[in-house]
Amino acid sequence: MRTLVLKSLVLTGFAVVVVAALVWAAQPEYRGIRQGFADADYLDSQKCLACHENHFASWARTHHSRMTQEARPDTVLGDFERDNQLEYLGVKARMERRGERFTMTLTMTDGRQQVYTVDRTVGSRRIQQYVTKQDGQYVRLPVAYDLMNRRWMSLNGSFFHADSENFFQHQTQWDSNCVFCHNVKAQPHMQTAPNASARRFETEVAELGIACGACHGQSATHAEEASSPFTRAWWRLTKNEERKIINPRKLTAERSLMVCGHCHGQRVPEPMARIQEVMTKGDPFNAGEDLSQYYRPVTQATKIGDFSFANRFWANGAPRLTAYEYQGLLHSACFTKGEPGNRINCLTCHSMHEGDVKGMIKPENRTDKACLSCHQQYEAPAALAAHSKHKPDSTGSRCYNCHMPRVVYGVMSVHPTHEITVPDASLTATQAVPNACSQCHLDKSVNWAIAESKRLWPQRFAHTAVSTDEQFNQPEGPRALFAGDALTRALAAEALGGGGPAQFDAQWANPWLSEALSDNYPIVRFFAANGLAASEKRLPKPDYLGTASVRQTAYERWWSLYPSTRQAITELAGQWRARRVNVDIEVGE
Amino acid sequence: MAKGQKEPARAETTSASQSNELTASVASGASRLAAQGWVGIALWMTLGLLLEGLIAYRAPAYLQDTQRRELFRLAHAHGTLFGVLLLLAAWCSDRFGILPRAAELALRIGTVLMPLGFLLAGMWHPEGDPGWAIVLAPLGALLVIFGAVALALRVREK
Repeated sequence: MRTLVLKSLVLTGFAVVVVAALVWAAQPEYRGIRQGFADADYLDSQKCLACHENHFASWARTHHSRMTQEARPDTVLGDFERDNQLEYLGVKARMERRGERFTMTLTMTDGRQQVYTVDRTVGSRRIQQYVTKQDGQYVRLPVAYDLMNRRWMSLNGSFFHADSENFFQHQTQWDSNCVFCHNVKAQPHMQTAPNASARRFETEVAELGIACGACHGQSATHAEEASSPFTRAWWRLTKNEERKIINPRKLTAERSLMVCGHCHGQRVPEPMARIQEVMTKGDPFNAGEDLSQYYRPVTQATKIGDFSFANRFWANGAPRLTAYEYQGLLHSACFTKGEPGNRINCLTCHSMHEGDVKGMIKPENRTDKACLSCHQQYEAPAALAAHSKHKPDSTGSRCYNCHMPRVVYGVMSVHPTHEITVPDASLTATQAVPNACSQCHLDKSVNWAIAESKRLWPQRFAHTAVSTDEQFNQPEGPRALFAGDALTRALAAEALGGGGPAQFDAQWANPWLSEALSDNYPIVRFFAANGLAASEKRLPKPDYLGTASVRQTAYERWWSLYPSTRQAITELAGQWRARRVNVDIEVGE
Repeated sequence: MAKGQKEPARAETTSASQSNELTASVASGASRLAAQGWVGIALWMTLGLLLEGLIAYRAPAYLQDTQRRELFRLAHAHGTLFGVLLLLAAWCSDRFGILPRAAELALRIGTVLMPLGFLLAGMWHPEGDPGWAIVLAPLGALLVIFGAVALALRVREK
């Protein structure tokens, strides 16, 4: 009997050894993959899924995950079958689905036709852009799909340019532009011929879209070590944080901010000569590293040759566009006055794996909660009212309405600035910077806002002077809609149309918006048309990209609803227009 | 001589007694295995019924946690099949003679530990891994392998 037991033990031991050998042989080898490339040791998100199922699922539902995709029936969101045509500046675009493939046919004014295949898509929330592959090079097509309004649009409708004659103004190379922030570890592999215009790209990315590697960096060592259950058990048992992976929540505030700022803070190489490395070998930055070692954020003073970035900022240096949130936060007192290593950063309010995918934010952080975590003194309603001078439960007492006003444009939408400041109405008069007070009090003048600021917060504004310029005695919403530059006008149109915190009587706002339909910037007309259509159902929504005659007809039809105010408003608008400065802005999207 | 004459009778008595003890031992070992097998089948089939109910009523705690779902299914499948295995072991024991006590214990404990490990590891677990109770599963597997090997050798001997 003893012999039988011994034999059994030996055979069992043999089985264990065989199993152990097979498991050992099946262990993954990740370290060293893509050695020598910029994306060495990066893994694709499918490999992370094996252990991080919940995090993978919460990432997969975000727009980050779908930022760049191969064009397939499940990824193409534009209408390629029914409402699939656009005519703009005389060029006719026809988008068609042919089985599993998608095409865009452009018929030029002279009748020539060009057929493009849609190979990749960019974006999945507000607009979806399309990329074609021509001779091995990826090129962004000039027609995109507006997902919010379910219609095709020329990219002229999104970028801040006046109506032009160039339909292809925004057709651009994907390999050298979009690729860097819409994917993980872009490597354009640019080959420069003696003639600079003949440059070619052999672009590679670690993964299409903004996937795990964008925020967590290289993960080969982590994944390889974590493939052992004993290592995983040890990490959990000892709560060991040395897991050889970047977790932005566990970085210092500054480094965490850099992870997001890498894309949400437009940048230029540092030094500029590094551009060659970036365009050939690829983006050198890895999450967790010091971004300033490779890049410096674009500011008002930044220039590349003769090209100045100044128009992307308000006169006081605050960003006017999205993808500059990093710069905004760096200038904010919440950041500069914070304790080094523990300051405000993106993750103070935003969550990458939780909450609403629109804005990547938890519902409670759309309230005052995030601000009150530091500024507890305003938690009591009475203290809040004493601070804001508004009823505590009103929009005027929401922290972000005053300290993060909606003065930033990006992807057909208006956004809160991330330069967290104390509102100062006088900046509108002195530097043409929109102010938070006038975001709600559109029917009041800037001088009224200055006077109220002096009355309500005398300690801060006692020495602020009202403007002697007569235009600042006029209601600021309409004044900005006609006197401001294109971006100011677009913001005003959006606010008058009810996009902001305040809602206005359509009978007061709509005549102004009707007049704005004659603006020579499509994007201003876009917001005016949205505002009109939202409050008035008797007429169809004006086509902001229609031909001049179509737009004139819509303009007249909308004015026919408000005949009594037309003369006064058009005269006033004319006076304000005469003082305006038009500023074209290359929106980096 | 009387003494000597009595010897064979005593030997016969002892032999018969030993044989009876052996038979009783085999019978009790087999009945222990069989009893545990039937109880196991009843219990783990009940778990299967519960899982069907969770699926039928779309219980998110089960359906949306793939790790838990896999572990519970493993617990149900192993538990039930091990019940059948114990019944087979009982039959073999009855048919081919007594199993070493260690092998019988290994089979009986291993067939409990393994599905129990899966079940408990599925109840409480971190993301991407089973809970700590999963250590019971390989331990149970080793015991079952040992028991099965011992049973195989015993059958071969006979």
